[in-house]
Amino acid sequence: MAEETTIPGWKRWLEGIGDQVEFIIKFVRNIFTGGFEWSEFIRQCYEIGYRSIMLVGITSFIMGMVLILQLRPTLVSFGAVSMLPKTLSVSFIREIGPVIIAIICAGKIASSIGAELGSMKVTEQLSAMEVSGANPVQYLVVTRILATTLMVPLLSVLGDAIGLFGGYLALNLRDSMSFSLYFGKIIGALDFSDFLPALVKTIFFGFAIGFVGCYKGFHSNKGTESVGIAANSAVVTASLWIFVIDAIAVQITSLLFYK
Amino acid sequence: MEKIKEHTEPQKHQPKVKEEVVIAIKGLKKSFGNKHVLKDINLELKRGENLVILGRSGTGKSVTIECIVGLLKPDKGSLKVFGNEVVDMNDKELKELRMKIGFLFQSGALYDSMTIRENLEFPLTRILKLKDQKQIDKKVKEALDNVGLLEAIDKMPSDLSGGMRKRAGLARTLVVNPEIMLYDEPTTGLDPITSREISELILTIQKKNKTSSIIITHDMECARIAADRVLVMENGEYIAEGTFDELHQSKNKTVSAYFNDIL
Repeated sequence: MAEETTIPGWKRWLEGIGDQVEFIIKFVRNIFTGGFEWSEFIRQCYEIGYRSIMLVGITSFIMGMVLILQLRPTLVSFGAVSMLPKTLSVSFIREIGPVIIAIICAGKIASSIGAELGSMKVTEQLSAMEVSGANPVQYLVVTRILATTLMVPLLSVLGDAIGLFGGYLALNLRDSMSFSLYFGKIIGALDFSDFLPALVKTIFFGFAIGFVGCYKGFHSNKGTESVGIAANSAVVTASLWIFVIDAIAVQITSLLFYK
Repeated sequence: MEKIKEHTEPQKHQPKVKEEVVIAIKGLKKSFGNKHVLKDINLELKRGENLVILGRSGTGKSVTIECIVGLLKPDKGSLKVFGNEVVDMNDKELKELRMKIGFLFQSGALYDSMTIRENLEFPLTRILKLKDQKQIDKKVKEALDNVGLLEAIDKMPSDLSGGMRKRAGLARTLVVNPEIMLYDEPTTGLDPITSREISELILTIQKKNKTSSIIITHDMECARIAADRVLVMENGEYIAEGTFDELHQSKNKTVSAYFNDIL
């Protein structure tokens, strides 16, 4: 309907930033106003969390195994095979686990939210919801963003555990180490400063995944092609945000814990 | 373009309508960029009346009704629904107004992730704030029964045909008993038999629920069945107004083009 007008790139970029800020404000306002959509929130937790367990589990398991198999030759050359559990646990819990799991979730969840809301916009379901007097932000956006913010950290914790278990199995392919010894070495290697910052950043990863998916879906154009664009753009932007958040989180963690 | 105004004289078969105006639009203008979609729209919808708006695609018919429910904000002009200016309404007032207006979208706009039952329960629990499940069930079944779709109550929208989806969308709109119905091309994409069924359903709803309706359509059979009054729109303006039969006899080329195939 709207006629094409040439808008400078910087202006469009600034408009995009403004739209995103407005969307966040709407999200925050709708958490506290009106009734909370508990049933939709629980459904989203199931869809986002439970239905991602298999994917996150398999990926983490393989990552844990691969890391041990890759680390082993190097540590063997230093005569430090016994350091394998410690090396794996610190690298997996601090960095690899949360980031890889968040990227996997961005691919699965952000794309699915972007495509779902995008197709709802194309088929006028968002307008129908608005016209009927219901609040689409409250029903669709608040529930999805909160569900990802809650579920991604839980998936991350689960993925960490499965990844470390995968590492244990890989370790026992060549060497022999009892589970209690392996587990004891991991617990001994990990500190509060390894676990907490990693958990906190997964909360932000989850928020970014939900927010980007909802924003891209809500702001897609009217046309079937735009559904694909919304899904694709949601994955790319969410992945980018994960790395940006990770870089910031590492700086903050370094300042707070590793002086 | 030459403007013609057909004089509306009540016909014998025409339902008697009260003169109370429920929607009053004066000098409505809306542009998208440099494209002036609505140039100067003046319209009145009386209580209990079925008003059909005819016009080619892109002439601003849908934009008019989207302005009425506040989905779009007009650039200029007055738009009163039940005597209240829509443009000046805040979110709360707009929400209250929307509770009285039903909007049937071209696609039906059923929520894909919900069954038909859940689709109908959605406005009941969120707009009317009903809590009693028995009362909700009764209303859902009654609304589906009215559109002849009771057997599809637990089906997903993807399991329904185009006509069934449209009827389900209509049931969802009607379940909250709106006083005004806005139909956006209710028969587009349907076969002639289903189109006729939908058109007759619109007429039944008018008589049974005493609703006032604006029907946007290209379907002349739908206009013939459902319209008390017809407006013809061209380039963001109304160029003719009258009953279906009056416009059928019009000498204006643009108007008569719509009626060419009608015997």
